Amino acid sequence: MRRYDPRWLIVTSANLLLWWLTGLANHYVADYAVFFYLGGLLITYAALRLDPKQGLIATLLTGLMVDALEPVPFGTSLVLFSLVHLTVLYGRQRFPREGAVFGIVVALLANLFLFIALSFLLVGAGPRPASAWLRIFGDLLFSQLAIFVVAPWFLALQDRAMELAEIHPETGRPVAR
Amino acid sequence: MFPKRFDQARPFVTLGIILLAWIFLPLAVKSFSRATFFEIQAPLTVADSFVRDLQTFWANRLHSKDELLKAGQQVAGLIARYEYANQTNSYLEAEILRLENLLKIPSMPDFRFEPARVARRDFSGWWQRMIIRKGSNYGITVGAPVVFAGGVVGRITEVHRYTSVVDLITSPTLRLAATVAGDTRPISYQGGLNNSFASPRGTVDFVPLDVYATPSASKHLVTSGLGGVFPPGLTIGEITNLEPSADGLFKSGEVQLDQRLGTLTEVTVLIPLNPEE
Repeated sequence: MRRYDPRWLIVTSANLLLWWLTGLANHYVADYAVFFYLGGLLITYAALRLDPKQGLIATLLTGLMVDALEPVPFGTSLVLFSLVHLTVLYGRQRFPREGAVFGIVVALLANLFLFIALSFLLVGAGPRPASAWLRIFGDLLFSQLAIFVVAPWFLALQDRAMELAEIHPETGRPVAR
Repeated sequence: MFPKRFDQARPFVTLGIILLAWIFLPLAVKSFSRATFFEIQAPLTVADSFVRDLQTFWANRLHSKDELLKAGQQVAGLIARYEYANQTNSYLEAEILRLENLLKIPSMPDFRFEPARVARRDFSGWWQRMIIRKGSNYGITVGAPVVFAGGVVGRITEVHRYTSVVDLITSPTLRLAATVAGDTRPISYQGGLNNSFASPRGTVDFVPLDVYATPSASKHLVTSGLGGVFPPGLTIGEITNLEPSADGLFKSGEVQLDQRLGTLTEVTVLIPLNPEE
């Protein structure tokens, strides 16, 4: 009998948890005019550790989830996340992708790209773009710092979830605990 | 088996297919997906605000009887003041109605007040929004103005089953017609100056040349009532500086907004009683 493969569900659920926690943090720091964006971290595990099909499903669902909550044209995050995911997928064989340090580096770079891409798409709406860039730079700095702190925990969480499900993230084969 | 060169390009072929599929996907499917994905996450968004309410409830239970008695006395004083204001308000409303009938002018828009708890604040450099815990289940409509004790909060931009999204006056995406208090000439207000660790600010454009404002002698900015969304006279903020615009025909400047906008826990939605068809 064919075994159900829950890898995409595990990663999407973990992403949903992270997105919720980020929203919660943003709620509390709203008064200080600080904002965390951790989009890059949502792609990292799916792009580095999962097999291409399962990883892409998780990334696409995460993109749709993020798009539903953000006031951007629906599909913006879907396309940007897919672009980053597939770029990482293209080059991942050449790097030590199992390592946590490499995961953090990928998350930081992916987040940097996503943040800048979103800023270019959205900053035109403001009355003083120069002033808006100052705030965006501040938010980017805080977001990158947050990723640096959160990424090891989040990658380990997804690894641990795969272990609990007794499934190998890349091959999908059952593994003994 | 694909040749090696195609295998290398496969991720980008996949990206192309995703892009094409997304472009040609019908709008109805996209709208349905957006609503579905929002509603899937809505319980999570709302749950933490209920937990916060519970925390506040238990924190308030710890207050002593003396503190409660003191608070009760303050509330009694406030009720007396509001009762007097209510009587004055009734008299003024009757006077407005009499003048409308006498002068045959169209009546002012009427609203139903719907208080709502803030579930989530989402203030970035790109947008400034909040999610409130009432939606179409309470008859909230897109475009309805949202206010608090300090004036305008923003406007409803999305309505879901149990939640709504408010675009704040600090948001660069919100524009509205305003006037300087005591003046009738309309000026344009737009949010969007939100530096980190600083109070929120907005901008005004098309200000007449004879209006002056400095940080020490600021001008009170209120809604004009034009456009039919916001009733006139609601506080937006204080104009703290004005400078001639590039064309020299008008002035532009900055508006200091209420600091409490970043910590709101409860707002009121004004739902039009007779929305224009």
